[in-house]
Amino acid sequence: MELLAVFPPLLAFLLAFLLGRRLGDRFAQIVTCTGVVVAALASCALFIHVVFGNDMQGDPRTIVLMHWMTSGDFKVDWALKIDQLTVVMMCVVNIVSACVHIYSVGYMSHDESKERFMSYLSLFTFAMLMLVTSDNLVQLFFGWEGVGVASYLLIGFWNQKNSANSAAIKAFLVNRVGDFGLALGIFATFAVFGTVHMDTIFAMAPEKAALTYHFLGMDIHALTLICVLLFIGAMGKSAQLGLHTWLPDAMEGPTPVSALIHAATMVTAGVFLVARMSPVFEYAPTALMLVTLVGATTAFVAATIGMTQFDIKRVIAYSTMSQLGYMFFALGVSAYGAAIFHLMTHAFFKALLFLGAGSVIHALHHEQDMRNMGGVWKKIPATYVLMWIGSLALAGMPFFAGFYSKDIILESAFADHTWFGNYAFWMGIAAALMTAFYSARLLFMTFHGKPRMDHHTYDHAHESPPSMLSPLMILAVGALFAGFFGYESFVGSGAGASSHATQVVATENVVIEHDVEAPVVEESTHGHEWNRHAFWQDSLFVLPENDTLEGAHHVPLWVKLLPIIIGALGLLLGAVFYGWKTGLPQKVVSAFNPIHTLFYNKWFFDEAYHAAFVTNALRLGRAFWQGDKNIVDGLGPDGVANTSQRVAGVLSRFQSGYVFQYALIMILGLIALVTWMFFKMVTGQA
Amino acid sequence: MISAIAFYLFALMTVFAAIMVITAKNPVHSVLFLILAFFNAAGLFVLLGAEFVAMILVIVYVGAVAVLFLFVVMMLDISFSELRQGALQYVPIGLVVGGILLAELIFIFVGWHIAPSAMDNRITPMDQTVQNTEALGRVLYTDYIFAFQVSGLILLVAMIGAIVLTHRRRPGVRRQKIADQNARRPQDVLDIQKVTPGKGI
Amino acid sequence: MSDFSLSSLMPLAPELFLAVAGMVLLVVGAFMGNRSLRLISWASVVCYGIAAVMVVSGDGGRAETLGGMFVMDGYAELIKIFILVGLAVSAILSIQYLYQEQILKFEYPILILFSGIGMMLMVSAHDLLSLYVALELQSLSLYVLAAIRRTHLRSAESGMKYFILGAISSGVLLFGISLIYGYTGTTNFALIGQALGAEISLGALIGMVFILAGLAFKVSAVPFHMWTPDVYEGAPTSVTAFFALVPKLAALGLIARLVFEPFYPLQDDWVQIIWILSAASMLVGAFAGLRQENIKRLLAYSSIGNMGYALMGIAAGTTAGLSGLIFYMAVYMIMTAGTFAVILSMRRQDVNLEKISDLAGLSHHMPKLAYILAILMFSMSGIPPLAGFFGKFVIFQSAMESHLYVLAVIGVLTSVVSAYYYLRVIKVMFFDTPAEPYDGHISWGRWIVLAGSVGFILLFIISPSSLLDICRTAAVYLIPSSLS
Repeated sequence: MELLAVFPPLLAFLLAFLLGRRLGDRFAQIVTCTGVVVAALASCALFIHVVFGNDMQGDPRTIVLMHWMTSGDFKVDWALKIDQLTVVMMCVVNIVSACVHIYSVGYMSHDESKERFMSYLSLFTFAMLMLVTSDNLVQLFFGWEGVGVASYLLIGFWNQKNSANSAAIKAFLVNRVGDFGLALGIFATFAVFGTVHMDTIFAMAPEKAALTYHFLGMDIHALTLICVLLFIGAMGKSAQLGLHTWLPDAMEGPTPVSALIHAATMVTAGVFLVARMSPVFEYAPTALMLVTLVGATTAFVAATIGMTQFDIKRVIAYSTMSQLGYMFFALGVSAYGAAIFHLMTHAFFKALLFLGAGSVIHALHHEQDMRNMGGVWKKIPATYVLMWIGSLALAGMPFFAGFYSKDIILESAFADHTWFGNYAFWMGIAAALMTAFYSARLLFMTFHGKPRMDHHTYDHAHESPPSMLSPLMILAVGALFAGFFGYESFVGSGAGASSHATQVVATENVVIEHDVEAPVVEESTHGHEWNRHAFWQDSLFVLPENDTLEGAHHVPLWVKLLPIIIGALGLLLGAVFYGWKTGLPQKVVSAFNPIHTLFYNKWFFDEAYHAAFVTNALRLGRAFWQGDKNIVDGLGPDGVANTSQRVAGVLSRFQSGYVFQYALIMILGLIALVTWMFFKMVTGQA
Repeated sequence: MISAIAFYLFALMTVFAAIMVITAKNPVHSVLFLILAFFNAAGLFVLLGAEFVAMILVIVYVGAVAVLFLFVVMMLDISFSELRQGALQYVPIGLVVGGILLAELIFIFVGWHIAPSAMDNRITPMDQTVQNTEALGRVLYTDYIFAFQVSGLILLVAMIGAIVLTHRRRPGVRRQKIADQNARRPQDVLDIQKVTPGKGI
Repeated sequence: MSDFSLSSLMPLAPELFLAVAGMVLLVVGAFMGNRSLRLISWASVVCYGIAAVMVVSGDGGRAETLGGMFVMDGYAELIKIFILVGLAVSAILSIQYLYQEQILKFEYPILILFSGIGMMLMVSAHDLLSLYVALELQSLSLYVLAAIRRTHLRSAESGMKYFILGAISSGVLLFGISLIYGYTGTTNFALIGQALGAEISLGALIGMVFILAGLAFKVSAVPFHMWTPDVYEGAPTSVTAFFALVPKLAALGLIARLVFEPFYPLQDDWVQIIWILSAASMLVGAFAGLRQENIKRLLAYSSIGNMGYALMGIAAGTTAGLSGLIFYMAVYMIMTAGTFAVILSMRRQDVNLEKISDLAGLSHHMPKLAYILAILMFSMSGIPPLAGFFGKFVIFQSAMESHLYVLAVIGVLTSVVSAYYYLRVIKVMFFDTPAEPYDGHISWGRWIVLAGSVGFILLFIISPSSLLDICRTAAVYLIPSSLS
């Protein structure tokens, strides 16, 4: 079962990649789709086994596939660590991937190298599964790099486009910064714990909590160092502020890629990493604070940019970045369950949005600029409805998936009762307003108003084929119901106070002190109540004093209501601006021109990086090059190279081709060896 | 005493003949000196009591190999003096190299002793009543069957190699094909025609 | 006179089988003529497969037989497997080339087979006498193969050179054997080891030096390497591939057995000899390769350098070193097989190309081949995730453990230098102005070799320890871990 959930994509990749060209596109499509669908079904079955197995106690398992390598104390296996966290990730990855695979069959039907595309998708899926199932950090790194490579290949898939190539390279380079942090983090982990095996690390984490390193006159808390380094890795992969610039550019890739990699799965790898390492992060409060701050700021900044963009995919990309920010500050306030919950719901509704956008783009002959859309809702009604579902889920309207997960995150941030928790809460509220706003903006600009494209395109706009719509339906079901059904499991109150998710909104609760104090692990064992402890068991770890999720169920009513009101307000504003009084946006823009310029230009991140790093790096490079050429090269490489060439010349002169010379050299060599032995024997005996 | 004299005689003659092989101007002379060296080496073997090896040396090397050399040298008109022209400039360095090696070997020879276990390790047909040839025969197919058989393989490879490298199939050479000849039937090759007088065919 | 029974031949079964098979194929060839070349080649490949099965199905324990002349143990077993794989690959690679170049001699695969028997016997030699006959069986076949295209001057010349220099090295080897025999009174490895263990004399020491020098010729260690570039260049390319793939593995296997069994008491001394050979080989291999324009000559120097690395494993004198050596040779063999498969496929207007500059535009005309060669070259120069890196890494690690720091440093430096010429190949393929297109056809046998080689190099990282563990188990047969 475990193998069936992980390896079919690999098999499909190999078959499609090696034989795809020979056996045709249809073969590649069938084989990759089958592979991923099988994996998706198997992972669902596995989900039931792992979560509900063993008499509802959960049945996590680790399967060692084979021994990988040993070098001294360093020992690594290929293994599948399958616990509740992993199995959630596997379900998300496989289900979304299956939808995207099927969708791609329709979406890429006019492309020339379909088999290459499908095989890359499968490769990505496998690498992602490797990432989430690893039981050690090295295998995780392998998967991490694997998804990076697959992402690079897919962003640059249309390699005849220059912008696609440079976007791919940019993604690769920016990720390299993050990966460097991750690699350093793994080294540091090995240095501190002496192993890269996760279970061992988790078991040892409490005893290493007080360990500090004296470095450059400062005492550095070892676990904080590890966690910060790992978080840098997570930032790169999950496009957090600072290392986010690659994500919008990555939209150069085909839309299914954006849906799968840059919305649902790969970008959440950072969230997964932090959640997976929760037993270590819990002992590094400073690192958690950093995570909260970065996450909250990202959520806010990305939302501001999202409001001003015109490329439909870029809007969704910034929205993704913003939602990832939510997940991170949820992690930062120790609400790991909430983060993973939002990860799951987000995967569904964001993949839905992306694929829906793809459907629109497909219908309008690869038009991506929202200024050239409008009024097509009658032409593509199914896509229109699906986009509405996705957008409402994103905006956090009640009873859609995003509502449950976003609310619990905001409540957790509030319940953290620290200054950064509050910061995150208010940033999150602001971002929620803007999220709702740009969701409405996207819908109205795309589907309503007067058609702004030329007539030809408008007349030929057509609904997508069933192969594209059916995966959208599946995702829509997820976007509608995943929150409702997942709520109790992922984040349900441990106190057993609330039984039904919808009641939470209505019932008012007060903070019950003793519940917060109670140790988490104990709670999970007593009783058969179904709540988050029963669900997660030991796969997530929260210190009792950090248990904000419990607190989240006992926040004041206004905290619970605020996101809904804000969301509704945002939607309304968006509708007014872009559906009713369409002249208004222009006035607002001119009124707040400086701010708009800032937002529209993405807070000038790219420009700042260009000025700070690229230009200076070039200048520095040129300076070094001059010095290098004259001094270092002269003595170093060039000198060595010249000498090497000279040595090579001398050596080749010996290679004259005359047999007797060769023989002579052999005999001389022999005599040299014999004489050396003599010399040694004589001096040794004397 | 006599055996000592004989030994030194044979040994000196062998060395002398060997030097002459590489210095003689005429290649035919070289080969003849080679034969002389073989004879003297055979003499040395006889002195050691290895009459079988001595006879084999004479029969195989003198009787076959050296004579073959002689034929080759006489049949191929090679000017050895030309070939040897360049080699002369290497004589000094050759002498130096050879000298050093010789000095070292002499040094070894002077300090030579055998291992304590060496005498026990020897494998010799101690049975003096058995003849040399018979003794060889006894061990060749038993104790040394492995080396013997592998040597056989070497000879097989040598044969294959010689054929591969020298055998040529020339087109246009008429060969006798006995099977074809036997299979010939009159009706295939003969055509009987009636000749009308005065007309010709 | 020893008790002879059929069961005493059991350890010898693969070699016996191959010998009989070789003779049968010879008869077949003699009757069918040169048109049976393809049949005989594939039949020989099948025979290697059967022989490999026979090798594996041995009981794995150590067995001496035929009066102590022949030994079969786990060490010999593993190396024989590698040899058989190498032989099969050489045969597969040759077929298409032989037809293209019109070297239609049915003896070709049979000579490979007989030299293969020689190599297998070398690895199992347990007596100086069997060592010598096995070595000659192998060498003689190689001489003939080098000259097999006798109508081409270069081929004939290279065969001649190889033969003459080989004869000199055999002479040196025999002289060393006679010194050892003179001192110990025996040619048996075990008894020699006992005799040398009791007392060491200068004569025996010099004898060992002569023997090692004679064998150094076979692995083309500097300064006994001079034949290598000329023979590699002159011999037909498929023969060069064979030379690069297998014989050196067998000779190194033999050297290792020699130094760890009979000469183990002289370890202090042979370590120095091997040290010198290794360092010199690495240096010459790296520097002399820089100027080569002919890719076969380049690979000759590459192989000289690689022998230096391999010898470093012996110099380490430990289980780690020996297992590193076996592993390194296996990886080297696989990489070389792929490289030659590419070189053999480089043809333009029915002429095989040998210049490095002829590779220009390979990425343009045959991108698959170009990427494969690039991976191979990266692996050869030791770029991390590829198998070639691990080969070097294991060797250097064992050298460091044995405190051979200078040797390890030389190794690292020369691998940097040699990276230059490997990477130059890549540069020429991808960045130089493309020349005319190539003749495209590549036989499926060659594709299998290419795929296997590249697949191994790329996928090795998935489970490095599986092969390394096998090599370690084999190495323990020669050096019980208590010794090291």
